[in-house]
Amino acid sequence: MTTASTAPAAATTWSTRRGAFAQAASMTARSLVSIRNQPAQLVEFLMIPLMILLSITFFMGGQMMGSWQAFLDYAGPALIAMGLFFAITTTGLGLFSDLKSGVFDRLTAMPVSRFALLAGRVAADMVKHTWALLIVGGVAFAIGYRSDGGAAGVAGAAAVILLFLFACSWTMVLVGLTARTEDQIQTWMISLLMPLAYTSTIFVEKETLPEAVQWFAAVNPLTSLAESMRVFLDGGTPGTELLTLLGWCAALFAVFVPLSLRAYRRRLTS
Amino acid sequence: MRHAIEVRGLVKSFGEVRALDGVDLAAAPGTVLGLLGPNGAGKTTAVRVLSTLTAADAGTARVLGLDVASQAAQVRERLSLTGQYAGLDDALTGEQNLVLIARLLGASRSRARARAHELIERFDLAHAASRPVEGYSGGMRRRLDLAASIVRRPEVLVLDEPTTGLDPSSRGGLWAVVRELVAEGTTVLLTTQYLEEADQLADSIAVIDAGRVIASGTPSQLKQTVGGLVLRMRPVRPEALAQLRDLADWTVGAGGREEDGSLFVPVAHAGEATALMSRVSQAGIDLSAFGLDEPTLDEVFLTLTGHRTGADEKTEVAA
Repeated sequence: MTTASTAPAAATTWSTRRGAFAQAASMTARSLVSIRNQPAQLVEFLMIPLMILLSITFFMGGQMMGSWQAFLDYAGPALIAMGLFFAITTTGLGLFSDLKSGVFDRLTAMPVSRFALLAGRVAADMVKHTWALLIVGGVAFAIGYRSDGGAAGVAGAAAVILLFLFACSWTMVLVGLTARTEDQIQTWMISLLMPLAYTSTIFVEKETLPEAVQWFAAVNPLTSLAESMRVFLDGGTPGTELLTLLGWCAALFAVFVPLSLRAYRRRLTS
Repeated sequence: MRHAIEVRGLVKSFGEVRALDGVDLAAAPGTVLGLLGPNGAGKTTAVRVLSTLTAADAGTARVLGLDVASQAAQVRERLSLTGQYAGLDDALTGEQNLVLIARLLGASRSRARARAHELIERFDLAHAASRPVEGYSGGMRRRLDLAASIVRRPEVLVLDEPTTGLDPSSRGGLWAVVRELVAEGTTVLLTTQYLEEADQLADSIAVIDAGRVIASGTPSQLKQTVGGLVLRMRPVRPEALAQLRDLADWTVGAGGREEDGSLFVPVAHAGEATALMSRVSQAGIDLSAFGLDEPTLDEVFLTLTGHRTGADEKTEVAA
């Protein structure tokens, strides 16, 4: 190793190594810059949550609760959460296409933290979720939704939605890393996310569900989310439902972040 | 450290397919090692193992004395990969791509931008620096890709088929850059299907076929494997080819092969070529062109493997 430090090494050395979080921030910026170059993505990102809110409220709300206004009042915020929840598949799809492209080969061969490469994707999608939440929330307000909890209640509800999406995105990271085709990811969404949403109290009260499903609705994380949001928006402070939700989020992080990193390493050895 | 790249007995299987079947490679610091072979020979797998993207089933690979499996993180610090498919983000501009790489490698914002501009100038991309890479031509993409690989100058640069699909002038431009990097002390591993490319750039060549190195040495050593020289004669009248062939057979004991209206005759040494030429002249056959060449690497490949390279099959069909 005596001749190891020949000329080229000295040529361009940067004194500081930035940490994994700084690297993740660079990766986040990279995903967001692509929005600036292709602004149409901003609209695409709104479509699913917006259509879910509007179509279910206007076309099914009256049937479910007598008038669509009453339904919007009960289910509007949770419907927004559900729309965004479905949109987490974009994290899986985005990562899948990243991994297929040559970019990730280059980045993976560089001295860059694996966590940063994955977290950058998740963080960028969180920015997009926040954007969609703002706009779709604005639309809900425009068609007549009012919160009894004031600004604090709205902020609390928004915070729990975003935290939950952040945790759930890591399940999609694992899916993106392990799926073989894009269709597989779409199938996951339909077969897992949708039943999960429909067996929660997002737009129905627990008592209206078939008895066999009620116990499941009680432990369903989307129920904890919907109920926490309702309490915030009614001006209260959620208790058990919020603790359950935080427990779910912690569990999702604890399980899916390490699993994703392991799946990333496995890709390299296969 | 005698070798910047040292590979021993590398084996890698994908299911039934043995992509690498005991590959040995070595490259001295500051030289270009050409890995030459047709599609599916195992070149990309070898590149991926060296760049820490794939783990081998058996054997060892060392980069600057570091084991790619157990010291992967250190290898990544000192080796840079330009993959077969451009490692660029299509949605980003050329400049943004370079800045991203620099930032990930730890450069400050201003330092990253300065380095990006330096490279954009050097690779003649100033006119396109602020356009998304999506709209780049193949040659521009390749130049940017190579620029991205040297944002922080690597000690070892791995280029996987860097000029596949490029027109001759873009290819020449890329060769010039590779030569500059080597002159600055970088060790390069280059895979290619183009015999000319290996001949032009490589200090040593390993010919790889079906996961095995079937020959290695300097370009001229490989040419000697085929032996001797090749006398090329192009008669003014194509009908004279048959007569030329007879003369060649009679003089040097081989009729040679015809291609594009020329006859290529293997000769042991220049004297034999002169003897044949004087017979041709006595027979009154007018030649529009002739020359004495070293055998091309294509002929080396044909001799070694019994089949031609993938790239050449196409021209054969066309001829």
